[in-house]
Amino acid sequence: MTAQEVRLCGLLLQEHFGDVVEKVGTHLLRNGAQHLRAIVQETGTPMDLVKKSLCVLIQHGACAFSSGRKGPGSPVEYQASFERILRILRYPRYIYTAKTLYGDTGELIIEELLQRGHMTMSSTVKTVADRLTLNMEEGHSMEYSEVSNTFSKLVETHFLQRCPPVEVAGKAVSATPDPATTPGAPANNTTPSTPESFADCYKVPHVTLIGRGKRRNSSEDGEDQRNAKRAKEDPETHGDEGIYWQVNFERFHLHFRDQAIISAVANKLDQTSSEIVRTMLRMSEVTTPPIATCTQALSANEIFRSLPPNYNISRPILDQYLTLLVDDPMEFVGKSGDSGGGMYVVNLHRALANLARATLESVVQERFGSRSARIFRLLLRKRHLEQKQVEDFAMIPAKEAKDMLYTLLSENLVQLQEIPKTPDHAPSRTFYLYTVNQLPTARMLLQNCFKTVANLIERRLFETKESKRLLEKSQRIEAILASLQASGAEPEQLTEVEEMITPPEKQQLESLRHHINKLDSAENQVDETIFLLESYIKSTATNKVIG
Amino acid sequence: VTEIRIYSFMIKELCQQFPQGITDQVIQNDMPHLEPQQRAMAINKLLSLGQLDLLRNSAGLLYRMKDTQTASKMKGSDNQEKLVYQIIEDAGNKGIWSREIRFKSNLPLTEINKILKNLESKKLIKAVKSVAASKKKVYMLYNLQPDRSVTGGAWYSDQDFESEFVEVLNQQCFKFLQSKAEAARDSKQSPMVQRNSSFATSHEVWKYICELGISKVDLSMDDIETILNTLIYDGKVEMTVIAAKEGTVGSVDGQMKLYRGVNAIIQPTGLVKVPCGLCPVFDDCHEGGEISPSNCIYMAEWLDF
Repeated sequence: MTAQEVRLCGLLLQEHFGDVVEKVGTHLLRNGAQHLRAIVQETGTPMDLVKKSLCVLIQHGACAFSSGRKGPGSPVEYQASFERILRILRYPRYIYTAKTLYGDTGELIIEELLQRGHMTMSSTVKTVADRLTLNMEEGHSMEYSEVSNTFSKLVETHFLQRCPPVEVAGKAVSATPDPATTPGAPANNTTPSTPESFADCYKVPHVTLIGRGKRRNSSEDGEDQRNAKRAKEDPETHGDEGIYWQVNFERFHLHFRDQAIISAVANKLDQTSSEIVRTMLRMSEVTTPPIATCTQALSANEIFRSLPPNYNISRPILDQYLTLLVDDPMEFVGKSGDSGGGMYVVNLHRALANLARATLESVVQERFGSRSARIFRLLLRKRHLEQKQVEDFAMIPAKEAKDMLYTLLSENLVQLQEIPKTPDHAPSRTFYLYTVNQLPTARMLLQNCFKTVANLIERRLFETKESKRLLEKSQRIEAILASLQASGAEPEQLTEVEEMITPPEKQQLESLRHHINKLDSAENQVDETIFLLESYIKSTATNKVIG
Repeated sequence: VTEIRIYSFMIKELCQQFPQGITDQVIQNDMPHLEPQQRAMAINKLLSLGQLDLLRNSAGLLYRMKDTQTASKMKGSDNQEKLVYQIIEDAGNKGIWSREIRFKSNLPLTEINKILKNLESKKLIKAVKSVAASKKKVYMLYNLQPDRSVTGGAWYSDQDFESEFVEVLNQQCFKFLQSKAEAARDSKQSPMVQRNSSFATSHEVWKYICELGISKVDLSMDDIETILNTLIYDGKVEMTVIAAKEGTVGSVDGQMKLYRGVNAIIQPTGLVKVPCGLCPVFDDCHEGGEISPSNCIYMAEWLDF
């Protein structure tokens, strides 16, 4: 848990859940697994607030509990998951993907689930239907069944999954009913159970949901709150009590990874090749485990049959494209056999390594110039080179090459390897070789990305704080305007109120909005880099292959 | 003493008979009555007169008739100068450093410098600045062309690396390959044909550059290949090797190198679109410090853009 990671998580928790949760969360992140009393003592927050914060974190899957390490009688320990908290950064991307794949309904389902953490299917459907109805024209409303359909589709393609069921209290851990234990602490299992380990993970329950979304008028805002509260305690049952759903982040990540590979192929080769790769990836979506180095082998016949109908390329042309993909130095696609017209696989790990390498090269190029990038790529290719060799291969004058190499060395993007000729390591009799190690460099850049995002968030908070007075003023004016309009005031009164904001203030507000938008979109852009680097590091770690 | 002179004369005759040189053995066979001491004195006399060259090969010492032209040039030079001249001549067109001359001749430094100045003024040797270490001077015979490793070859003119020249060549080669790739893409033929026609052999590129005439120096195909390699390291070009029949134009050892312009596989990554990704003081920045996100001037400029 590096300092940058803790800082970033702290900022994310504070923005989404508030100060108390942030305090508890960062404390857990810094100090590992702790039991309730320790948290209360060390953070100095009252017990009930700590309990509530833990509930919030558990609800969102950011915190897990397990029985204590000291034996069966010891109190339950809570552990925060840094990875899960980081996912908050990626929420906009998940929602956008759901929108492109499943339309507005899908978008809202994912949004609701992300906001609430865990929800039953019935409550999700109802809430989404109400929201959609709000945006539709008068007299129209959204059918529950439509929303249920979209929900089922999301489950079928594994974007949603059931939360792992929690065992009921009284089963394994008996003895002292510790007040800190939330009902249903699982038995002393050493391996955390993944959602996939439960058989019904992707089974849609039989839910009786008949009805339409309810439209609520804005004047019933106050009632809305009460209605929402009431809905939670709704005695209506729909047959799926206790079955909670959550967003399956891994599935989204696989989708993003596929997208990255397809766009890389499109950039390098052409549109048709990328369509072929897209088809191959789609066919192996559910059959390939997430950490595999390559997809299942697909025969050329199958690929030909599964191509989208508007791409009517003939069979020999398809074979040519496949051969070209295999011959390409980037090795996106490999040939694993000759049966069925040729068996082809997509090399996932290789593709991720290439994308990570391109990311590193891009950073060096933008930061230090194209000649330094040339040296960097040269070292990536040739592994170890002496100073003189670098100058000769890169065709850069000696003085400049030396300067660039030392700059890269000071930024730790390039490492120096000493090979002594004599046992006394005398500098004049030692080889000094420059080298680039892709994996450690990727890790370092990942930490830089975390720091960058934390900087962006802090800047955004700073900008908001600076203009707090102005923002409050504009909010009051808007509220006054709204109330005047609702009570049917005359146009002169409205313009009078509007003019209470002076033009320079308007401009300031405009520029503030512009700044905040820019910072927000920048966070998303850096998150893309984080995704590529994280996927590469994870894939390398699980496969122990030098990429 | 006259005997020595007679013996020297006879040895000289022998040398003239065998222009490639004679060994002690040959002299002994020819004049068996000659004692080793007298033989040595005779040979020394010839050497001091500058009429014999003393060489060493794997079998032993070799005596050779000296070229009369050079013999006349050396008239007036003393032994030491001749020795130094010999050493420099042996170094061929790679030249030899003054310190190495000192090691080989065992002469003191001051003597060496005097002799070198003498020889240079007589236009027998010249100093060439080495491109590897700019302060080092190597000496070689006056009329020899310095070797490539000393001058640096086509990319150096007067010890200066011609970066502009290299840049121009770089861009020209890239443009050639890029236009070839585009032409192949626009031809809308089957993908295999498209890809094959977007390749250019190193020979084709070489011919194109020669015809462009932007180079005042003659460039070999190897030179062009080093330029193309830099394009590969720029990520703009990729290379494959194919087997070619011996005798096809441009093939070396039965293979040909093919080059092709390519596009990058990703757009510039997200991290560099943000000031922090390019910030020179990234490591010094933290909240509450002198450099922090709140007062960052780079961010302020970027936000107002």
